[in-house]
Amino acid sequence: MRTRPVLLALLCTGALVSSVACSVEKPSDGDAAAPNCGAGRDFLIGMSQANNAEPYRQVMNNDVQTAAAGVPGFTVVVADAAQDNSKQVADVENFLTQRVDLLIISPNEAKPLTAVVQKAYDRGVPVIVLDRKVEGEAYTAFIGGDNVAIGRAAGEFYAGTLLPDGGKVIEISGLPGSTPAAERAQGFREGIAGNPEIEIVASQPGDWLRDKGQSVADALLKTHPDAAAVYAHNDPMAEGAYLAAKAAGLHTTVKFTGIDALPVPSGGIKAVEQGRLAATFQYATGGREAVDLARRILVDCSTDVPRTTTLGTMQITSENAAETYARLGGVS
Amino acid sequence: MSDQVTVAMSGITKRFGGVRALRGVHLTLRAGEVHALLGENGAGKSTLINILAGVVTDYDGEIVLGGEPVRFAGPAAAQAAGIATIHQELDLVPALSVAENLTLGREPRTRLRTLDRRAMARTARDWLAPLGVEIDPGRPVGSLRVGEQQLVEIAKALSLDARVLIMDEPTAALADAEVRRLMSTIRALRGRGVAVVYISHRLEEIEHIADRATVLRNGEVAGTLRPGPADRQRIITLMVGRPAQALFSAGSAGPPRPAGPEVLEVEDLAVRPRSARPGRCEPAGVSLTVRAGEIVGLAGLMGAGRTELLEALYGAGPPGRRSGRLLLAGRPYAPRGPRCALRAGVGFVPEDRRRAALVLEHAVGRSIVLAALRRFTTAGVVRSGRERDAVHQQITALAIKTSSAGAPVGSLSGGNQQKVVFARHLLTRPRLLLLDEPTRGVDVGAKAEIYRLLRRLADDGMAILLASSELPELTGVCDRILVLRHGRVVAQLPAGRCTGEEILTAAMGGAAAGGDER
Amino acid sequence: MTHLSAPGKRPGAAVGPAGEERPGATATGGHRWFPAGRGELVERLFAVQSLFALLLVFVLAVVVSPRRDGEIIFLSTENLGNVVRAVSEIGIIAVGMTFVVLLGGIDLSVGAILGLSAVGTATLMVDSGFGIVAAVTVVLLIGALFGALQGYATARLGIQSFIVTLAGLQVARGLARIWSGGLGIPIAYGDGPQEAPAAFEILNGSINGVVPVPAVLFVGIGVAAIVVLRKTAFARHVYAIGGNEKAARLSGVPVLRVKVAVFAIAGLLAAVAGVIHAGQLNQGSPNDGAGYELDAIAAVVIGGTSLAGGTGSMGGTLAGALLLGILNNILALNNIDANVQLLIKGLVIVAAAGLQKLRRSIV
Repeated sequence: MRTRPVLLALLCTGALVSSVACSVEKPSDGDAAAPNCGAGRDFLIGMSQANNAEPYRQVMNNDVQTAAAGVPGFTVVVADAAQDNSKQVADVENFLTQRVDLLIISPNEAKPLTAVVQKAYDRGVPVIVLDRKVEGEAYTAFIGGDNVAIGRAAGEFYAGTLLPDGGKVIEISGLPGSTPAAERAQGFREGIAGNPEIEIVASQPGDWLRDKGQSVADALLKTHPDAAAVYAHNDPMAEGAYLAAKAAGLHTTVKFTGIDALPVPSGGIKAVEQGRLAATFQYATGGREAVDLARRILVDCSTDVPRTTTLGTMQITSENAAETYARLGGVS
Repeated sequence: MSDQVTVAMSGITKRFGGVRALRGVHLTLRAGEVHALLGENGAGKSTLINILAGVVTDYDGEIVLGGEPVRFAGPAAAQAAGIATIHQELDLVPALSVAENLTLGREPRTRLRTLDRRAMARTARDWLAPLGVEIDPGRPVGSLRVGEQQLVEIAKALSLDARVLIMDEPTAALADAEVRRLMSTIRALRGRGVAVVYISHRLEEIEHIADRATVLRNGEVAGTLRPGPADRQRIITLMVGRPAQALFSAGSAGPPRPAGPEVLEVEDLAVRPRSARPGRCEPAGVSLTVRAGEIVGLAGLMGAGRTELLEALYGAGPPGRRSGRLLLAGRPYAPRGPRCALRAGVGFVPEDRRRAALVLEHAVGRSIVLAALRRFTTAGVVRSGRERDAVHQQITALAIKTSSAGAPVGSLSGGNQQKVVFARHLLTRPRLLLLDEPTRGVDVGAKAEIYRLLRRLADDGMAILLASSELPELTGVCDRILVLRHGRVVAQLPAGRCTGEEILTAAMGGAAAGGDER
Repeated sequence: MTHLSAPGKRPGAAVGPAGEERPGATATGGHRWFPAGRGELVERLFAVQSLFALLLVFVLAVVVSPRRDGEIIFLSTENLGNVVRAVSEIGIIAVGMTFVVLLGGIDLSVGAILGLSAVGTATLMVDSGFGIVAAVTVVLLIGALFGALQGYATARLGIQSFIVTLAGLQVARGLARIWSGGLGIPIAYGDGPQEAPAAFEILNGSINGVVPVPAVLFVGIGVAAIVVLRKTAFARHVYAIGGNEKAARLSGVPVLRVKVAVFAIAGLLAAVAGVIHAGQLNQGSPNDGAGYELDAIAAVVIGGTSLAGGTGSMGGTLAGALLLGILNNILALNNIDANVQLLIKGLVIVAAAGLQKLRRSIV
């Protein structure tokens, strides 16, 4: 009576754990080395996304799914980790359990996801890493922009065009553990090296999020009301900083730049067109390229796909904003 | 009392699971009548009242109210029909003021739809006036004494145009002067045509105030009669179904026993709390002694400081400075908390067992061993064998009626719950037992058992200090009675040879009866 | 707080049943097997409600599990291993949380303590060159001490545990951020100066390649906790304080000591979870564990423990944690939208709480 509930509980836990130990192992891992590919077949692709809440990643997901819709037999399933490393590890594990044919992953942080990506790769599942890197070499292909180059382009823009006479710059950086954040910071500093009058007076992470960017900018603008410009690592944070400055009445004196330039109504290109941002730099999502690679691997059975694909960038200012938006297929 | 029937309940039958609580009960209430409802706990009084008040909706039988058959869907429906209940545990919100409580749910509003506080205060005063009560409507209800709170509840019930007022043990927490006031209030209600259902164990009161009395036994009506002083024996017989035994069997009738050595010596005990709490009267210079084998009673009006004194002796009072000398069995005794007191051999059965002693969901066995766990624990682990034996022994020794040691405490009747609290402290083998209103809310049968228990404990050498508001209890069970007033002992009376009047006089400072003392 | 009305104004009827395991002996000393009436039967059913629910969800998972080549994916070794591994951290935290909730309190800081301890583990081993044992000991001590301080603040200063631990959450997060400099501390394994002893990797591994190590720890801690809650005087004190603190105090229960100990246990177990977390992700990041306290509370509630304190069981919590883990798993395997997942979990919690209320009114 009293002991029975507890006995049952122990029994159940024991059953669960021992069923783990005793359940039939599927002897499939051996043949995964030979690629599971060919024309006219159905393929399941797992896409592990770091954080669906970021607009950039929503566009990335869209790009992937739109491109996949064009390939007969491709099914893409997207899992959202909501910036939680543990969740993303679990997401990838689940994909492996479901025996996906290919994994596309945009990791939240590099180190925590390295082990599980390696596990997938070692099992013979092709892995395409998008936008952010993992450590080591255990992946099939990496597609991403050259964040250092983008940062450098932004820096040169500041040095030559935006603040030719110098000035104080506030930097709002991305999520600290992610590679783009480090690289965009590094590139920027290289870019402004040419103009010694430009000084970065403060740098705080906005975690790629608009609201975080706003609150961080709030504080920094109060500390440095004489700042000339805000260099944000992405457009949402730049928009957030703009709002913060507006609240402080500084939005006409301070200039804002972002990165991403998504061709969507809430994106950076429109923001430049409407005058909130002075400039933004394109950071393509690589979604289409990823699906293209996937097709080559899975349908064409190609075994030599490029290890690293670097996406190009372009600078968008008020001069070319409108026509770039139209050219990239943006919806009005 | 008119002949007009307000409520007629007929053929009421109710089962709870396998237990039959009521069978074929008939009860008629006439307008302007005070109808007492008697019976031991478990006889079905509460169930019957709950059916009338709409708390229990699933029953067999019929209720006719004002000529119309009714079946209430819930308490709200019963209240709307004019049936008001005043429970033992009052239904007021302590943090809100008197006026707020009285107008709860139907607050008068200003044109701006905000609360019209002036109207609330005026309404409160209007409703309290007929009861002859002068209470500031702005005071928080929690700061009022129990007797005053009860009057607020009655005023509230009346304001709802109650036709039937059910009062459950209304005088349990009242001092005598307040009881007198309540009685006159009830008489006033009678004059207004309200039918009053009066549940009580106090036979003297019932004889005083009730027009008719119905006695329930084991879920059936044992008899209905017009109670008078001569009928007391008959009532008790109807209640217990056997000839009434003398309630205080081995009480003062026995020869005075030789008292043992002094167990408790108190000299000029005074407590100065760090922050004064309203409604408390801390000891202000109490001196007394209790010997082994003695049952010493503590009498006094509400607010005289009996509970506070007992708490101070148990180390359970508010933080503050304690002055005076305390000796327990000859050694200095300065309890910093209940743990110290327990270790020194002092036990305390508090006044409100629900609030201060029991967890209704916990099992009887667990509740009993709680204070004496140390005796059954080795290296932090409780020895269930030893525990089981001890629990079994206590249940038998105190005749605790429970379906099993694992039954939840809430399933026991009031008297048996009180026995559980007793058992808990007896397991710690105290040499001094402090009791605060030990038979409150306990039926006649269990009361007798408790008194027998107390006598037995005293005979075995325990020293007992018992605070009570029931004068017959004090005179019947105790060897000596100390009367407290304003935190001081003002009189010491030998129990065998004093009357209730003497005690009351001393408690009120020798002044004439009437009025509340603070 | 004093409230004038007492619970259960139906003295004629049996008041709510006991939620915890209780001695089955009758007054005469024998065992009663057959329930005495409908009430007791229902009560016995409810005592194992969380187990029934767990069984139900397990069966459901098998039924709706996707299949691949005729094999039920849910039941595969790999998947079940994932499930128990994912459950382990929350489960360990939930064990500590059960103690706190039984006491009538709540601990919102456990997620933050997990983060603090993950950071501490990583920093001590990598930056300060501590060995595993030393690093883990220090981190566990920090967790226990942090919890003890919160318990003291609640018990001695009388501040509600909700507020104390809310503050504790911020403090722990802040400490974690300061200690780590705001970044995640990666753990590299090896013998070098900035590397952690390779033996620590065991936390990411499995026994016999099959049973994940964190799961073993979870089961071990869970079983130990069940034993403690059923057999020790300490547990009786916890239940007593949760049921009626005033009564407990008057019965000689050392309330202050017990409260401090309970919160210390919660902090300690959160720190254990943090060590495991660092081992799993090879990183100690100050943001780890955010929101874990709510999952732990969910497990406790689903397990049948009342947030008011005084009744509940550890077995229920373990079942609740497993239930949530299985639920997460089947939703993910069936690729249910993440937002719908949140919705479903919320509904499960409400259902569990609703069952609690039903149980009290049925008898």
